[in-house]
Amino acid sequence: MDLLDIIEEKRFLGQEFLTWLWFKSEERGGTIFLPEAGEDIQLVFEKHMMLEYGEGENREKLICRGQMTELQEARTGLAMGKKLEQARILLTRGEYEWTLSLKATLMEFRNVKPPKTMGSSEEGNEPEAVEGRLLEHLSLHEMVVRTVDQLFRMFLDLRIGSGWEQELTRIQAWVRKGKETH
Amino acid sequence: MGLLARSASFVRYAVEGDLPANFWEFAAERIALHSFRDIDESYEERSVGWVSVVNMFDSEFAYASYAAADHVVLSLRMDERRVSPKVLSKFCLKEEERLKKVRQIPKLARAHRVEIKESVRLMLMKKAAPTPAVYDLCWNLAESTLLFFSTNQKAQELLEEFFKQTFDLSLMLQVPYLTAEHLLDAPGREALADITPTIFI
Repeated sequence: MDLLDIIEEKRFLGQEFLTWLWFKSEERGGTIFLPEAGEDIQLVFEKHMMLEYGEGENREKLICRGQMTELQEARTGLAMGKKLEQARILLTRGEYEWTLSLKATLMEFRNVKPPKTMGSSEEGNEPEAVEGRLLEHLSLHEMVVRTVDQLFRMFLDLRIGSGWEQELTRIQAWVRKGKETH
Repeated sequence: MGLLARSASFVRYAVEGDLPANFWEFAAERIALHSFRDIDESYEERSVGWVSVVNMFDSEFAYASYAAADHVVLSLRMDERRVSPKVLSKFCLKEEERLKKVRQIPKLARAHRVEIKESVRLMLMKKAAPTPAVYDLCWNLAESTLLFFSTNQKAQELLEEFFKQTFDLSLMLQVPYLTAEHLLDAPGREALADITPTIFI
């Protein structure tokens, strides 16, 4: 299968992952336990989402944003069968905090704001300072990618394993609850 | 929106193929061979090459190396002379009108108009200043992955082509399904191939 076919035929995988991640973040009030790392991380969906519905040329998009909303439209959209395509996320791991938008279909990391660190304040154009800044940015970007990978791995283990039916029942109940609440 | 910016957008690639044993020597030679060449003082239409992530005018990496721990950190720079279609159309019409008046004819042949268009395009191209575009990348050698700091599809196609040209290695965009294949073992990959979309309602 070539890349374009994979993108089109397996489009649902990234969107299901992002939807599951939204459910997972709300399940324990923003805390998710990462089995691979053996630690809790904080993951909060911010008030900016894009959902999709339909196939190919008939694809519809729904953008929801607002500071003080409860993502009512997005929750309703989910209950109507729309899929989550992009979301703005606040991710905290240990002392580090990122905000990023994750786009599901191509797994794009957009507008990633890495944590402010001690090193960030160190300016200067000496080769050592430049290399230091480079390495710091590099490692922070790689850390957020690794964290998303660990979450994706957690989703995949469930998705292809025997626990999926049970997880799916919980997700469906959460989607229904969102619809009833709003 | 690059590697050193306060806010960055990127996609991930897998680097496919084996690295040569003397990698850093190989990289030095290939990067030098494909480093960016300035076209400000020439009439070339397009130039593509590698520059330092710290300074887009540094194509000799005098200021900062492209080697950072076990990563290769580079910027892909493309300068291109562009002529807007509206400007091209205006100057073509102007030239056509001039010729019709000089020759006292009501219409020009299609072949002639095509010729005019090409010569006007070349004339305008020579006058246009090259527009630069710079995209950062960091290549993790140990994991054979690469972060490319642009979500623009044309920029990604340019990278894929130029990276192959430089290093003889292919890049594969890591969309969720391919990322999943890397994260799972063989039985997991088989199970993954069989899954169909879930309904969450």
